[in-house]
Amino acid sequence: MARSYSLLCRTCGVLLLLGGVGFVLSSFRALAPGAESVTPFPMGPNGLYFFAFTGCALVGWGGALFAAPAGAAGRRLGTTTALALALMALYRMAVWVMGDVWWLGELPRIEAALFLLIALAFVWLRPARASSEAS
Amino acid sequence: MGRIAATVVLGLLLVLDLALPWTPLGRRGREAAERLDEPRAVGRVGEALPDLRFVDFEGREVKLSDFRGHPTVITFERSVDW
Repeated sequence: MARSYSLLCRTCGVLLLLGGVGFVLSSFRALAPGAESVTPFPMGPNGLYFFAFTGCALVGWGGALFAAPAGAAGRRLGTTTALALALMALYRMAVWVMGDVWWLGELPRIEAALFLLIALAFVWLRPARASSEAS
Repeated sequence: MGRIAATVVLGLLLVLDLALPWTPLGRRGREAAERLDEPRAVGRVGEALPDLRFVDFEGREVKLSDFRGHPTVITFERSVDW
């Protein structure tokens, strides 16, 4: 089980890290003069500011997951990751309910289901408390 | 114990997510998703627009054809009371 948990942490860590680096690079690229139209979707300077912030946070989160240590610290990282994924899923469900991003169709709900399944995997694959404290 | 509680919460959220379109909460989202399948009311880039009708700030009906021959910009904004 510890091996599956480590694989899950590393896979999610790499994906978050890559996403974060992409966000940060896109943000810097959009700052170039006359380059407003290069962002993946339209957003003003405020949106870009938070996009860059999200990218930096993803780099930190992904890096921490990728280097998740064995033991209690690694176990707690899985717990907080599951919580963050549940919050992300909740937000996507709310966005779908409000219909604000209607052009995305069912994508927010599909993403929410995916995040919740990954959160469940983090909950079930994390090592048991006794074994993680022993290592 | 914590694992079971987390599973129950996450499972309930998953069920809610999957059932959303059939709940009263999902009415607006369902309508929004259905809009994706509607045929476009106006043409694509390069095609002439149909003779759209709007109501101006004085309550008069304005037709797109009223502006024929004049450069015209149409903007759409979401009102506060949507």
